[in-house]
Amino acid sequence: MREFATAAMVLWASFAWADTPDVTASVTHHVLPGYDLLVQNTQALAATAEQECSASSPDLIQAYHRAFDSWISVSHLRFGPSESEDRAFALAFWPDPRGSTPKALSALIGAQDPAVRVPDAFRTVSVAARGFYALDFLLFDAQFTTDATAYTCALIQAVTTDIAANALAIRDGWLNGYADLMLMPGNDTYRTANEAAKQLFTALVTGLEFTSSMRLGRPLGTFERPRPKRAEARRSGRSLRHVILSLAATRDLALRLSSSDPDIAQAFDTAIMRAERLDDPIFASVSTPQGRLQVEILQQNVDMLRQRLTEQVGPSLGIEAGFNSLDGD
Amino acid sequence: MARRRTFLGGLLATGLGPAFSWAKVGNPRFLSAAKTPQGAYVLCGLDSSGQITFKLPLPARGHAAAAHPSQAKAVAFARRPGRFALVLNCATGEEIAALQAPTGRHFYGHGTYSADGSVLFTTENDYETARGLVGVWDVTRTPRRIAEFLSGGVGPHDIKMLPDGHTLVVANGGIETHPDTGRVKLNIPTMQSNLTYLSLDGDVLEQVELDAGHQRNSIRHLAVSQDGTVAFAMQWQGGAAPDRPLLGTHRRSDGSLTLVPKASVQALNGYIGSVAISEEGSRIAITSPRRGVAQLFDQVQLTSELEIPDVCGISAVDGGFFVTSGNGICRSPQDKVVRHPLAWDNHLVPVGNAGA
Repeated sequence: MREFATAAMVLWASFAWADTPDVTASVTHHVLPGYDLLVQNTQALAATAEQECSASSPDLIQAYHRAFDSWISVSHLRFGPSESEDRAFALAFWPDPRGSTPKALSALIGAQDPAVRVPDAFRTVSVAARGFYALDFLLFDAQFTTDATAYTCALIQAVTTDIAANALAIRDGWLNGYADLMLMPGNDTYRTANEAAKQLFTALVTGLEFTSSMRLGRPLGTFERPRPKRAEARRSGRSLRHVILSLAATRDLALRLSSSDPDIAQAFDTAIMRAERLDDPIFASVSTPQGRLQVEILQQNVDMLRQRLTEQVGPSLGIEAGFNSLDGD
Repeated sequence: MARRRTFLGGLLATGLGPAFSWAKVGNPRFLSAAKTPQGAYVLCGLDSSGQITFKLPLPARGHAAAAHPSQAKAVAFARRPGRFALVLNCATGEEIAALQAPTGRHFYGHGTYSADGSVLFTTENDYETARGLVGVWDVTRTPRRIAEFLSGGVGPHDIKMLPDGHTLVVANGGIETHPDTGRVKLNIPTMQSNLTYLSLDGDVLEQVELDAGHQRNSIRHLAVSQDGTVAFAMQWQGGAAPDRPLLGTHRRSDGSLTLVPKASVQALNGYIGSVAISEEGSRIAITSPRRGVAQLFDQVQLTSELEIPDVCGISAVDGGFFVTSGNGICRSPQDKVVRHPLAWDNHLVPVGNAGA
């Protein structure tokens, strides 16, 4: 024990120390405005659903797309208030390899579960039946839109109300303390500015990994067995849109963390341009060799981005690539 | 059940003669997976001064390894959700065999030999039903799967043999994953972790669950002392919450369950990567790569803290604990540091049956 004690508090300064990245700008200009927009658009969605709960309502559909857009733009920020009380899970239960969302929705409808009438009760239903991906089914899948009943209407309203409440809770969590933990490190969550920067950097890299392996990787499947029906939110035609939105949001964060490194900007722009040029909103073409190739190239672009960030930008900012700390096992 | 029992009993009695002893490969004290600067993956033997005694290539990123109790053989497990594990002859570098997870199963990255080295137990995911399993392999010759049984929970991760040689302890992390969705956690809101003691035939002997305040505490890694004390290390999945311990000990003999308050979510950034316990069971050490810190305890008393970025591998040795880091550091209890151009992976596995 003594040998441990004598060596205690020795810091192995093993990285080339450079400027600590600007956490303040990331929080005030990236995180907080992103959640403000989410709150605004999810409240509009809930208000619209109160007025018009039919899947054929253009206003409701537009409000859905707008709110979902603003979620995807913050969906890489999965730490702190978004993880408390499963808020991010309740907003976004995807991927869903066992098809739990349609099952959970059918169960609620089959039982005419009264939980939809009371927000507090709805908060206790399975996360699979909540959030944006439940709306993808309720508003766009014939299983739910055909012969929709008053119960379906109430369910849609319950889901949108719940989404708005969760978004508000996350934003308030940031405003009422969490932002300060990052902006004024030296607390038990972030002991140093570097730890706060590391959290943002981890969110950035994990977000890109999610885009590559889930948003693109799930529909790609394998060459022998492409899985286009696994594309994210394909019923509402949003799969490619999520890739573009997420790349744009992570680009913003990456540039804030890298002092606007022009090479990083260029690499993001290349990937975003390639995604925008894809004429395949739900990756339906992954079953054809040509269509597949296009999506694979996009995936490679995203992977190269992630690699560049972890190998070059991270260390140059004094943020360890974190072989073990990023492992999560 | 009866048939399985007979089969296992027969195997355990076989005890084939060793091909090479550990002495033949420079008497490594530890095994660790690592990543090279070129991006390749290897399994290394390390001696007590942190020198590399052998280095064997792995096809992909490793996680933990299981060292054969007497022969210079080790099973290197792929990182979750890997489908194979390699049995390596550590003397010749030869791949003796590959264990392929059966259809519908993947490995979690940990395994343990039976006391005589004839049987290997592996933690696995039966992923279509999300049931945790223990796979049982006859490894006397070409590895052959001979049985499997429920691990007693979801997401079994670490598995260790108790000193009695006929009880397994499994850390059921409680987290459901599916290979189609990689490492995405699918059931955090409903997860439930436990510590399960099993006979070698898969009978559940005892299960330990923490109270509801620990619902998001995933028991992941284990270390066992000679008196059967099990140190269990956890990872917090709950986001911001009141502070809670991430380390505990349990002893079946007297039913004692103790949590270690200083090894807390806040102190360790919610994450313990590895745990080790001294042979006599009074001293425990953990690492948190996310906080860049190793903590040493005497019972529940924090006796020292060591800051090492990306520290993770830890193993009990005479006089203290040996630690490794993702930056290539190997540090002995005497504070001798050797640095290799390698990123040491999560676990530092003792060779033989000493300590953790």
